[in-house]
Amino acid sequence: MKKLIAEGFQPIDTLIKPKTNNPWSLKDKLLLGLTPQEYTKQLFRNPFNWILAIIYAVGIPILVGRFIFGLGWATHSSYDYPWGLFLGWGLFVMVPLSASGFMMGTTVELFGRKDFKPIERLGLLNGLLGYFFAVVFLEVDLGQPWRLVYPMFVSLGPAAVLFLVAWHVATYLSVQMAELVPATSELMGWVKPKKFIKSIVLGLTIAGIILSTLHQGALGALFTYAPGKVHPLWFSGAFQWFHFFCSSIFGGLSMLIVVSTLSKWFLGWRCDANFSKNLDQITLGIAKGCSLALITYLVIKLVALAHDNEWGYLLTGWGQWYIFEITAGVILPLVFFTMAIRTNRAGLARFAAFVSVFGIAFNRLNTALITFNWQLYQEIPHWREIVIAITVYATYIVVYRAVLYRLPILYTWQGDSK
Amino acid sequence: MKKLNRRNFIKGSLAGGIAAAAAAGKAKKALAAGGDFGGYPDSMGVLVDMTKCVGCRTCEAACNKEQGLPEPDKPFDDYSVFDEHRQGGLPRRTTEKAYTVVNRYNIDGREHPLFRKFQCNHCNEPACLTSCFVNAYTKTPEGAVIYNPKVCVGCRTCMIACPFYVPAYSYSSAINPVVKKCIMCYDTRLKFGRPPACVESCPQGVMTFGKRKDLIALAHEKIGENPGKYVDHLYGEHEVGGTSWMYLSDVPFEKIGFDMHLGKEPIISYVKDFLAIVPMVLCIWPALFTGFHLLSTRKQANKEEPPKA
Amino acid sequence: MGLKTGKQVGLAALIAMAAPLVLAYSANGEVFELSSLANLYEGVSFDHDMHIEAVEDNCSLCHHHTAGTPPEDQMCIPCHKDSPEAESPACNSCHLIEPFSSANLSIIEKNPLLHHKMKPGLKAAFHQNCMGCHQETGGPVGCQDCHAMIEKGEKFYNTGQYAPKPGKGTGHH
Repeated sequence: MKKLIAEGFQPIDTLIKPKTNNPWSLKDKLLLGLTPQEYTKQLFRNPFNWILAIIYAVGIPILVGRFIFGLGWATHSSYDYPWGLFLGWGLFVMVPLSASGFMMGTTVELFGRKDFKPIERLGLLNGLLGYFFAVVFLEVDLGQPWRLVYPMFVSLGPAAVLFLVAWHVATYLSVQMAELVPATSELMGWVKPKKFIKSIVLGLTIAGIILSTLHQGALGALFTYAPGKVHPLWFSGAFQWFHFFCSSIFGGLSMLIVVSTLSKWFLGWRCDANFSKNLDQITLGIAKGCSLALITYLVIKLVALAHDNEWGYLLTGWGQWYIFEITAGVILPLVFFTMAIRTNRAGLARFAAFVSVFGIAFNRLNTALITFNWQLYQEIPHWREIVIAITVYATYIVVYRAVLYRLPILYTWQGDSK
Repeated sequence: MKKLNRRNFIKGSLAGGIAAAAAAGKAKKALAAGGDFGGYPDSMGVLVDMTKCVGCRTCEAACNKEQGLPEPDKPFDDYSVFDEHRQGGLPRRTTEKAYTVVNRYNIDGREHPLFRKFQCNHCNEPACLTSCFVNAYTKTPEGAVIYNPKVCVGCRTCMIACPFYVPAYSYSSAINPVVKKCIMCYDTRLKFGRPPACVESCPQGVMTFGKRKDLIALAHEKIGENPGKYVDHLYGEHEVGGTSWMYLSDVPFEKIGFDMHLGKEPIISYVKDFLAIVPMVLCIWPALFTGFHLLSTRKQANKEEPPKA
Repeated sequence: MGLKTGKQVGLAALIAMAAPLVLAYSANGEVFELSSLANLYEGVSFDHDMHIEAVEDNCSLCHHHTAGTPPEDQMCIPCHKDSPEAESPACNSCHLIEPFSSANLSIIEKNPLLHHKMKPGLKAAFHQNCMGCHQETGGPVGCQDCHAMIEKGEKFYNTGQYAPKPGKGTGHH
């Protein structure tokens, strides 16, 4: 696309073709105003697509195989280790990283910080796609995925934490889809839907905060069902849910910085001045939020250690692993974020965000997979599990990219002007 | 501006209210379970006296036949299975083909090895039941914890939750994988007042079947009348809120694979704190955040419409 | 007890045979056929006379106090030290074939003052009593040392002609 832009191509950002009175058709909008041949050519030129092609060539047969031969063939899920990478990565890592939806909605709509508006839609999209693909990962993991709606309509077990997660994720997905209706309405030229959503946006935002607080916490609470199985340093009977909720705050915000950075680097042609010029300032603003959440998280982790008197564990091998996680995943990003804010360096904040995302992923994988069953034996995912996880994640990136190409998220819709 | 805020507040509350309604059942259950359940008063149980077990595996064979399980890998009178270890050097455990297994423990100073029968303990407040979001498990008044494969989605949270590592899953099936565990022969025997197949089959009378409360009395009687023979502990009397299958041993329990760190609280107790917070958040967040909104955006509104002098 | 008493017991058992009850013994002089529980194995040929000699006439080693001799276990002495010979010292007169039947359990429930509430069933009583002693004295302890397995048993235990074919994997890694 960069080549085309350099040649003077202007991707669609209005409803009407410039210099004419004819509206763009849906096909035009999907192809960004290119001809099918031009579009396909730029597809082939993009080196990222070659990597994707390899991933899909290997991954699709394995993914299909999971459904034909069952979980026993595709995973190392066992009687002792029922959960593997699909849930460990796809659910437990992706969900906190998708918390940007409610964070940005709250910042802009609830607290009225309009200076974050340029990145608001990206935050919402990050949230929506992250949750949507978390559900995709869940469907890949469930023994009987066609029964996904059972906890809602067939047989309800309301006392279970997972019941809350199921309902909330479903409701929250609807909320997030509604929050992205304005962007879609602009592209499609609808008027009423956008107006309607705008009128209930505060309600949607508050609903989003409620749902997010609870299900981010609930994912942590799931591990309170197995108090002896997660290593004590990663487990807190009293505070597990709060650890997960607090870390989701900086998780979502950091992921937003990461995604905005990747958009700046690889989709720069799509970003308009409103986005690009304000991005550094916005990044530093988000960094402030991240650092506040990080210091809070660090302290409540230490409080949990004190509460259960677990200092002795720090001297063990697992203790060293824990110290590494806290240092690399919490303290390091905290220091970098703070330095970046003080010295006004957005680049450093971006680096901190990457480290912070790693920290979240590391913490969730530790809790769900690595320190789980710490008293039994270690289990590693099957290579097929890794391949499938990469394939589904690649699809997440593909869909992400497709939406960012088209919907007015990185750029402002010019409407009927021009 | 005022009108819009009120409308939004109501809408926000409604949205929260819908979510609250969804969790209302959960709130009720959390509130009702203020104390421990303690099991149905007349529930049956099984007392396992491990001093009597000789490791003949007749119980494994009886279970296999009663539950229509697949053919085992080795005959039931093949005792080389006691040398089998799974990953991590651990002894055999229940699988999708075996609802109960007997394991051998060589104990220094004990003339013969100790044999331990392992199967679902049919807890009073089972972790599997409380963690299941499709209500697939039921604690029957007879004492058995049974499972409904027709609603199971295959999330395997029950396997995460069970402190005894009992439920197995038929990972080998692609179209109908389900949880596999001992159901105390509920459908074929317990419902009709008959003891489970393993209990009946045991040549050594290792297992005694009766009312749980009677078995507790019997167990303590046995301990008292045989001073020095048994470890003074009835495993399962209080562990994780009490289980229907209880154990007597002459060897310290931690040496023969019993987890002594489970505590007396049912697993649900560790989750209750979070469950209690759910209705709190649902009720407090709407007003709290609407308040934040009003407080933080008033400044802008005042700029647009300065207050009247 | 001498040969005479043994023959008397055998005769009593023959008479018991006539009763329409589930049969525990069929007397053949000194050797009883214990076949009431025969299901997976053949019945046991139990040489009662030989055992009388082996225990040097101390009946209570097997019969507790029911043969009229004081029991071995100190726990039993306070109540049973002077207990007379029971109506029938046979094992199956106290140890039931189905100890956990709902009938038996309701008897236990209805009689809270019953002392020996959860007696081992007949099968357990045989095995515990016999094998306990055999282990100490070097008698037969293996399953088939006392009763040979029949085809039904082979099916039950998936052994013999019903053994699983070798080389079958579990199908799950």
